[in-house]
Amino acid sequence: MSASFTAEELFQWIEEGRDYVYLDVRGEEDHARFSIEGPSEITLLNIPYYDFMEDPEGAVAQLDPSSTYRTICAKQGSAMFVAEVLGEAGFEDVRWLEGGMTGWGQVLIPKRISTPEGYELWQFNRPGKASCSYGLVHEGQMMVFDPSRNADFYTSFAEAHGVRITHLFETHLQADYVSGGASLAAATGATYHAHDGDFASSTLSYTSVVDGATVSFEGGRGPGVLCTHAPGHTPGSTVYLIDERYMVSGDTVFIVSVGRPDLGKKVVEWAKQLYATLKERICTLPDALMVLPGHYTDWGTEATEDHLIMNDFGTIKALNESIYGLDREEDFIAYIVDNMRDQPEVYNTIRQVNAGLLSPAAEELDTMDLGKNECAASHMAA
Amino acid sequence: MAHDDEIDCSGMNCPLPVLKTKMKIDGMAAGSTLKVITTDPGSCQDIPAWANRVGHEVVETGEGDGKFWFMVKRGE
Ligand SMILES: [Fe+2]
Repeated sequence: MSASFTAEELFQWIEEGRDYVYLDVRGEEDHARFSIEGPSEITLLNIPYYDFMEDPEGAVAQLDPSSTYRTICAKQGSAMFVAEVLGEAGFEDVRWLEGGMTGWGQVLIPKRISTPEGYELWQFNRPGKASCSYGLVHEGQMMVFDPSRNADFYTSFAEAHGVRITHLFETHLQADYVSGGASLAAATGATYHAHDGDFASSTLSYTSVVDGATVSFEGGRGPGVLCTHAPGHTPGSTVYLIDERYMVSGDTVFIVSVGRPDLGKKVVEWAKQLYATLKERICTLPDALMVLPGHYTDWGTEATEDHLIMNDFGTIKALNESIYGLDREEDFIAYIVDNMRDQPEVYNTIRQVNAGLLSPAAEELDTMDLGKNECAASHMAA
Repeated sequence: MAHDDEIDCSGMNCPLPVLKTKMKIDGMAAGSTLKVITTDPGSCQDIPAWANRVGHEVVETGEGDGKFWFMVKRGE
């Protein structure tokens, strides 16, 4: 029986630049659609598991016995099967991914952001989705921003750190992943903050975000969270300014690019809103403000040396001169339209799930919740 | 549609549906058709992708009652 490894270990190995060869044994289509990635380059091969059934010698002959293989599949059975085949062929230390890509898609990696004393700020990176949620901790309480579906992660994190989850915030109605907001609110009793612009037609019970209002920890001490309505990516998009130093920017501001305003099939209307938001509400913020985005596309350009997805707003404006440099609304709209591309069909279903209008079975949720996001207005910064 | 043999892989997870299908069809005559029944959603891509790769042909597929089925015609 060969040994396995967890999705957390996999991330750590990628982060450390371990010299492994990752062997994805899913079909070529699945591999092309969604694969593993992380803070450093990896060696990744794709040989479908059925090749190891039809022609085991031929499949094995494509591999180098002096390399160390880590096998990956959709769930885990096929990766285990291939690990056994390789073991029998004399390959040493072959291991397979527990829970497969489904597990990888859900894993969250907590990293602490250095802050002034008195509170802790955590980035919870979800490498399988290239998305980030956040935790703000102060005196035994934790606020969570944009929790993803893996609710157990947040409750275990809170328990391990001896804190209670007291507030949950949505930056917008997510289209690309299943939110954990409503289920965490139910599990913890935390106040669930969301904007009417996105959530008015939902069946969820939530507290309406008020533009310009500050949400505080119980007891009134600690950093405040200033809610700023930032329509464009969606009508109810909101950014949260923490302690006047950090901005949880959702899908409004990314390190590279901005959130695409074409997901609601009203591209011109929403692009106009986004233009106004950027000019009047975002560009007026200080350059030193640290931006904590909801997504990223590329580790290489968007992560810090410590593998945090964040940067200061001044640098972000410079990186995205092709967007922030546009000074006429019509030029901005043209830029958005030029960069438009299809959105995955599943986004419509995910929006309905996140608004409480649909509740599919867990396995169906797993499937719709997998795969990298498609939230940025453009793929490349200029 | 008419088929020469049938294999029920209900309840089996990857890689078993493809493995059992392969073992079964290997013992059948070229040109004959095997009906494969599965419940694992992963098999919907894997059975056709495997068949395509090794020279068999999936001539018909369907689903219902939480099950999927495939008519696989053995290649030469
Ligand atoms: Fe989004």
